[in-house]
Amino acid sequence: MKDRLAAIAAGLSADYADIRYEENRKVRILYEGKKLGEVASTVSSGGHARAYADGGKAISSFSDPERAGPIAESTCASASRAGRCREKGLRVADAPVIVDSFLVAPGKDPRTIPLKEKLDLATHYNEIVLGEPSVITTQTVYDEFASRRVFVNNEGSAIEYELLNCGIAGSIVTKKGNVVQRVRFAFGGCEDYGRLLDREEDLKKRIAKACELLDAEPVKAGVFPVILDPSEAGVFIHEAFGHLSEGDGLQNNPAFRARLQMGTKLGRSILNASDDPTLEGRPGHFIVDDEGVRGVKTRLITEGILTGRLHSRETAAEFGEPLSGNMRAVDARFTPLVRMSNIFIEPGDSSFDDMVTSVEDGYYLVGARGGQTSGDQFTFGAQWGFRIENGRIGPMVRDINMSGELFSTLEGISMVGDDLAFGERGGCGKGSPMQTNRKSGTGAPHIRIDAVTIGGV
Amino acid sequence: MHALIEGARGSVDQAELYWSRRREIHVLYQNYRLQQVEENDLSSVALRVIDDGRLGSTYGVFPDREDLLDDARTAARYGEPATFSFAPAASYADVRTYDGRTAGLTSQDLVDLCESVKGRIHNELPDIPLFIRCRAETSELLVESTEGAQGEIRATDFGIGFGAPFRGVGISIIKGERSISPLDVDGALIDEFVEWYRWGDKTSTPSTGRLPVLLAPEAAFLVLLPLLMGVSGDLVSKKTSPLVDRIGQPILSEKLTVIDDAVADGDPNARPFDDEGIPCGAHTIVENGVLKDYILDLRSGAALDRPSNGHGFKSALFGGGTEASPTPWFANPVIEAGEESWRDLVKGLNEGLLITNGMGFHSGNFPQGQFAVQAVGYHVVGGEVIGRLDRTMISGNIYEDLRAVRAVSRERRRAVIGLLSIGSAPYILVDSLQVAGK
Repeated sequence: MKDRLAAIAAGLSADYADIRYEENRKVRILYEGKKLGEVASTVSSGGHARAYADGGKAISSFSDPERAGPIAESTCASASRAGRCREKGLRVADAPVIVDSFLVAPGKDPRTIPLKEKLDLATHYNEIVLGEPSVITTQTVYDEFASRRVFVNNEGSAIEYELLNCGIAGSIVTKKGNVVQRVRFAFGGCEDYGRLLDREEDLKKRIAKACELLDAEPVKAGVFPVILDPSEAGVFIHEAFGHLSEGDGLQNNPAFRARLQMGTKLGRSILNASDDPTLEGRPGHFIVDDEGVRGVKTRLITEGILTGRLHSRETAAEFGEPLSGNMRAVDARFTPLVRMSNIFIEPGDSSFDDMVTSVEDGYYLVGARGGQTSGDQFTFGAQWGFRIENGRIGPMVRDINMSGELFSTLEGISMVGDDLAFGERGGCGKGSPMQTNRKSGTGAPHIRIDAVTIGGV
Repeated sequence: MHALIEGARGSVDQAELYWSRRREIHVLYQNYRLQQVEENDLSSVALRVIDDGRLGSTYGVFPDREDLLDDARTAARYGEPATFSFAPAASYADVRTYDGRTAGLTSQDLVDLCESVKGRIHNELPDIPLFIRCRAETSELLVESTEGAQGEIRATDFGIGFGAPFRGVGISIIKGERSISPLDVDGALIDEFVEWYRWGDKTSTPSTGRLPVLLAPEAAFLVLLPLLMGVSGDLVSKKTSPLVDRIGQPILSEKLTVIDDAVADGDPNARPFDDEGIPCGAHTIVENGVLKDYILDLRSGAALDRPSNGHGFKSALFGGGTEASPTPWFANPVIEAGEESWRDLVKGLNEGLLITNGMGFHSGNFPQGQFAVQAVGYHVVGGEVIGRLDRTMISGNIYEDLRAVRAVSRERRRAVIGLLSIGSAPYILVDSLQVAGK
């Protein structure tokens, strides 16, 4: 396949053109309560072609590999026609030609584990959850994604590479009277199946939280200082800042480009944030992105100053900034987008106890529950939290969603903990149509933010 | 009958084939410039079998893949005991889903339309980073089962949306429309976009407390998604829905009626059969505030000892598609219109909010009817919009707060943005919601 596609790419008439073809194997085991809802092992394949010609850009996804040649040629013609509608043409930054193979070799390879063994593991964890009397249902999912990809372009790059991740995650749903609560758990989220094993004690701690939440009060609405645990702080830096560090989001937004010039002061000197696809064992680990560029660590914020941005070849050219290798597609149905790999807040030197002591009237918020961002506005949830009064942790609270504005919130990060931790399950939705990417990790220590808006009763 | 289903007879107890082929053209403008042209030709297939009384499924690209049936049988070896049979033969409603004019569109036709929209908005708002997305899709869908179901449709879907972030911030305002036929963008939609965009030039933050809230059609998902979860046979059968045993009882204001109208002729959401081959219809979910029925697929119907009522769709809040398992979902939810003009409802507000979107909905406890979102919209004081909402959240529970609805507008339109961008709704004036602001 690689040689055939490389021959097609070499003959394409475009300023730049590439073709990606992939075979994706997925395993999914789903328990819903006691019921085994799904055991599926699937194989799919498809291709994607991109072209830049005469200043225009066109893309195509296709299912039939026999049509790769005509589709790639047609994509080049569409790009050329599109170029006639642009005064300033699009182009891609120079990138090294790579002819190589990057295959994944984890400690315990999920692709070698029999389906029955995976099913038994999911069953085991699901039964542990169901053993708690307050649990009314569960959702326990084993997810495995193994992608073998070929990338070629008309500059001579020809790369075979693999992406792999596996994880067990789910929801613990508890009920008492009319109160229904849901706490999530997630193990693995990386290439190594070994990370899924022997996690019973971690699971039992999450079950206990789901039970405690049934007696918690709903959070109060208002503006408060908060301490975010590493899971929440990781989602915060991903949602609130990370998406604004993606070059394609800024490329056509003059207002934000002006506000996010390199060297702009975004926070206090205690704030440092990076994106790093080279971190093995984290959800967002990869060697090469989906336009054949090696992924590298990018220091996004250094001592409170904006120092880096995530790019495709197109946005790197547009901004005149270095390549970062962050252009990725979930599968062949989609075109690559600029996406975070493993984004994290670097550790500071505050202790958790010092943070709690510093809050007179606020909340300690724990456990990421997803989020959404639009430019500088962000919203995200917490699985549970605690009232903090006069520097002491108080009663547990539930049903927590918070929102804010990026720039003032970054400035409001007044303490950064010394306890960096990474989440085990990746996930990020972006694009239209939305691409939900599991290979996206977050990490952070505890942080204190001086004011966020909390929606509550 | 497809050869795969024919071949499955005798080798498994039952089989169900779902095969979709989509040809799409997308044109994307960003900051008034053509960013990219996209043309896709995608096929996908899902096969479910019941083998030795157990359910198994698999997914692929083309239905002629030789090992598709073997993969499904392997999955069935470990699968759950089947509690239902695949769909039997049925007659389906005659619904118009296809317009050959949409199928004949080229990317240049879409570019020409975008250029027209661009020109008209540029005259009014030349200094905004306008984006336009235009799409023409032609699809074929086949659902067949060994039990006799045989559904096949061709469909077209044309959509155009345009918008821009408000000046200096990331929150955008978006307007758009969908149809099975090629659309021109009428002046009223562009005029409304320009008016709403200009409303955002100023900002305002209300005080924390309870205020009346006018939900625009774009924000209808704040009501429809919790309702979808509440009436889902899946959640009802697991007893995690707050609407268990509530059929026949009032759950919303008597001013609200919700119908899932899957057979609205010529509607881009129209479907004569669901993704399991069960006939679809116009199904009243809530009538004058009273819960009339749940929505069921084959699996949840079996769990509740009822037949599917044609709501088994391969949908999900995020994702969905051919590889997803069918689950109870709305096809085309419609909240019925009322009698008043939405502009009169705004004028009648002493102080309140006009909400056009809510950010962060999915991280709330919405299956229980709750929402707590960043409020996207406008602050209304003395019957006038005084500015775009800034640093404001709204929260509530539809089964408590939407019992008190003051009015429903006579204007109803498709909600083309938002998490559940599949139905249509009027403006809904809620008596009060909790607001977190100043």
